[in-house]
Amino acid sequence: MATLLNPTKTQTLFVSLPKTHFLDSSYSSSSSLYSTFSLQIKSPFRRKTVSFNLTCKLKTSKGPKNNGKDISKKIILSDSGPPEIRNEEIQGEVSKSGGGVLVVVKRLPRRALAVLSNLSLAIGEMFTIAGLMAVGTIIDQGETPEFYFQKYPEDSPVLGFFTWKWVLTLGLDHMYSSPIFLGMLVLLAASLMACTYTTQIPIVKVAKRWNFIQSTDAIRKQEFSDTLPKASVRDLGILLMGAGYEVFLKGPSLYAFKGLAGRFAPIGVHLAMLLIMAGGTLSAAGSFRGSVTVPQGLNFVTGDVLGPSGFLSIPTEAFNTEVHVNRFYMDYYDSGEVSQFHTDLSLLDLQGKEVMRKTISVNDPLRYGGITMYQTDWSFSALQILKDDEGPFNLAMAPLKLNGDKKLFGTFLPVGDTNSPNVKGISMLARDLQSIVIYDQEGKFAGVRRPNSKLPIEIDGTKIEIVDAIGSTGLELKTDPGVPIVYAGFGALMLTTCVSYLSHAQVWALQNGTEVIVGGKINRGKDDFLEEMNQLLDQVPEIVESSLSRQPDSASG
Amino acid sequence: MIFSTLEHILTHISFSVVSVVITIHFLTLLANEVVGLYDSSEKGTIATFVCITGLLITRWIYSGHFPLSDLYESLIFLSWSFSVIHMASSFKKHKNDLSAITAPSAIFTQGFATSGLLTKMHQSATLVPALQSRWLMMHVSMMVLGYAALLCGSLLSVALLVITFRKVIKIFGKKTNLLNESFSCDKIQYMNESSNVFLKTYSLSSHDYYRHQLTQQLDRWSYWIIRLGFIFLTIGILSGAVWANESWGSYWSWDPKETWAFITWTIFAIYLHTRTNKNFEGVNSAIVASTGFLIIWICYFGVNLLGIGLHSYGSFTLTSN
Repeated sequence: MATLLNPTKTQTLFVSLPKTHFLDSSYSSSSSLYSTFSLQIKSPFRRKTVSFNLTCKLKTSKGPKNNGKDISKKIILSDSGPPEIRNEEIQGEVSKSGGGVLVVVKRLPRRALAVLSNLSLAIGEMFTIAGLMAVGTIIDQGETPEFYFQKYPEDSPVLGFFTWKWVLTLGLDHMYSSPIFLGMLVLLAASLMACTYTTQIPIVKVAKRWNFIQSTDAIRKQEFSDTLPKASVRDLGILLMGAGYEVFLKGPSLYAFKGLAGRFAPIGVHLAMLLIMAGGTLSAAGSFRGSVTVPQGLNFVTGDVLGPSGFLSIPTEAFNTEVHVNRFYMDYYDSGEVSQFHTDLSLLDLQGKEVMRKTISVNDPLRYGGITMYQTDWSFSALQILKDDEGPFNLAMAPLKLNGDKKLFGTFLPVGDTNSPNVKGISMLARDLQSIVIYDQEGKFAGVRRPNSKLPIEIDGTKIEIVDAIGSTGLELKTDPGVPIVYAGFGALMLTTCVSYLSHAQVWALQNGTEVIVGGKINRGKDDFLEEMNQLLDQVPEIVESSLSRQPDSASG
Repeated sequence: MIFSTLEHILTHISFSVVSVVITIHFLTLLANEVVGLYDSSEKGTIATFVCITGLLITRWIYSGHFPLSDLYESLIFLSWSFSVIHMASSFKKHKNDLSAITAPSAIFTQGFATSGLLTKMHQSATLVPALQSRWLMMHVSMMVLGYAALLCGSLLSVALLVITFRKVIKIFGKKTNLLNESFSCDKIQYMNESSNVFLKTYSLSSHDYYRHQLTQQLDRWSYWIIRLGFIFLTIGILSGAVWANESWGSYWSWDPKETWAFITWTIFAIYLHTRTNKNFEGVNSAIVASTGFLIIWICYFGVNLLGIGLHSYGSFTLTSN
């Protein structure tokens, strides 16, 4: 960085140069100076010819001192050296130049763009979406019409007007796929795009063009400005570098900036949002989903389980894959609670050859050919028992309805004459695959047995031994082509949100005789910037010409 | 056993230290600024931070998993986040207004977490299968940090609104506590304390001038902290979505908690957008941020209270008896 402050290029400190000289010097400066500059500019920030239009507008609308010849020169220079812009006022240009940036945008009606990029409209859209989502969590989703007839009856409307008619007409029973909600999202996406094209990109185009200001008045007009009576612009440059600024120095003028990425990041945030929306649309239109409960030891074909969700859902080769459940088992804590579910799966191709084998568990799904298999549920399939050392018999377990989400399964083993009208028998209940509670013919508690314990239980003369508990695994299958796009959007959103935290600060300074006029501005966090600048300017050393020494000027704000 | 005793001790120490800190804050408010007292309140906050950190680590060791699996633990983590924000902001600037928000917030969450309301949940439970993931630490800690920062920011905005409101209805005099009943004590305390600071700093008789300065300060601090919280919230929601794609089968399933987190995100996105426009700055953006305060509480607490949806790990019932 220090090479920038090439001593040979610096103007003598106490020589006051006439204004016209500055104008000329920008074109007659030696090539060595320009090469230093081009080294300093990082490639993403280098100007391309895209902004031709914009530059023209800037000139014609603002610069009364410039003629057409100057403009063409500047544009040629812009790729290698700094363009000269005396008056830089971003806000004014933005609205004018927005349409000319992209040809595609030009074809769209300008009026629609202007309306869409309106901040108030965007804020309104966000509020509406937030409100709709909140309503979606209040009204139960996906119930039958009868449910809503009962919950929001016509004779006693909620809040005096809200009845089931509202719910069903507006599609509030399936809020997140209702036309209102999706329409608002589309509108928001349109606003995002319009705002990015008409407001954000022009701001960046102006902001990234680093430039010198040659008139003291223009510097004094900045948000922050100050005058240092006896100072050198070089010393200021060194201090700014120390504070993390990129500093450019040419003759008596100085330009410094930092946090330029903070200008780009909001565009990135918007693009990332659009990417996530696009991915979400693809997910909704092009995915397959399905769930299946398979007892241990049985097979299923993925294509039979998966059902399409939209018109873009196209089955793939992997849909012919047959899945064999080798084993389903659970891990338990010492307290008896389930700690994890595992399913050992084998994938077989059409020829019956095993192509993949994996033990999946919650949080660890299997992925094959675009299909993902999740462990989501379980069930008790059958109980294998020996009755009086005969068997083994498989008793089918039935799920019993209970309040709460704990599962309970039960089965019944008839004892005695099975042809009599009122059969009596032994009931067996289980909460998990670990322990079976056995009740006798009168319904009294008889005992608890574990599968594989080889410990028989004797009930009314019948000896029963529980050999095995066979579970079934609840699998959820899906294909989702939108996931890579959504993930890319997630990554971009995280990154750009973090980068948005940076503030873009710009500082200009001009040596005017012995005094240095400093001006600066920032896009957000103005107060911190003012504080930083004041501290920085306090450190600028005073040039001592004679024995006469004055206190360094403190900032006047 | 030794762990639960240690945990008990740490809980009580941190709670009492925060109480002392708040008392000191009130003392400085009554007897103007006493430097020694201010220092001790700073030390007290650091002590609280150490205690809560110790508490979390103890819990981590004896339960064997990251201590963020239920509401009690997340509340403790929330008050820890408040103390972190407090310390971070005091690094940024020695004496600041944020401490008046963070310290009472910490005591409230700490007090609520340790109160009888949630005694049932104090026992650390085993981790259900769905929570056994390395994403737990990332997702939940980011969410809670985000909530903490956004709560601070929106409280500052509420304070700003209160001051502006007072200006509008022309209630002057800083000891006129007409509004005491309608606003919680931390805000009032905050206002009074800040008034003291500004009276001393600028020693200006003009009410309007210091009020203007104060609202500017509030605005600036709330903007700073909300921007920070927004980053945490974004990372938290997105990591949650990635986790959901690993465990529930979809990155977004419109679960109530998810939806409310997204609503919170939207509201603060609106806040950040209002800040880009000069017309909306100040009162308008403060109104948005204050709405955000309500929404965070619905998201963090209201959804748990109902115990609906897939995020039912943190649910509880108020009738614990």
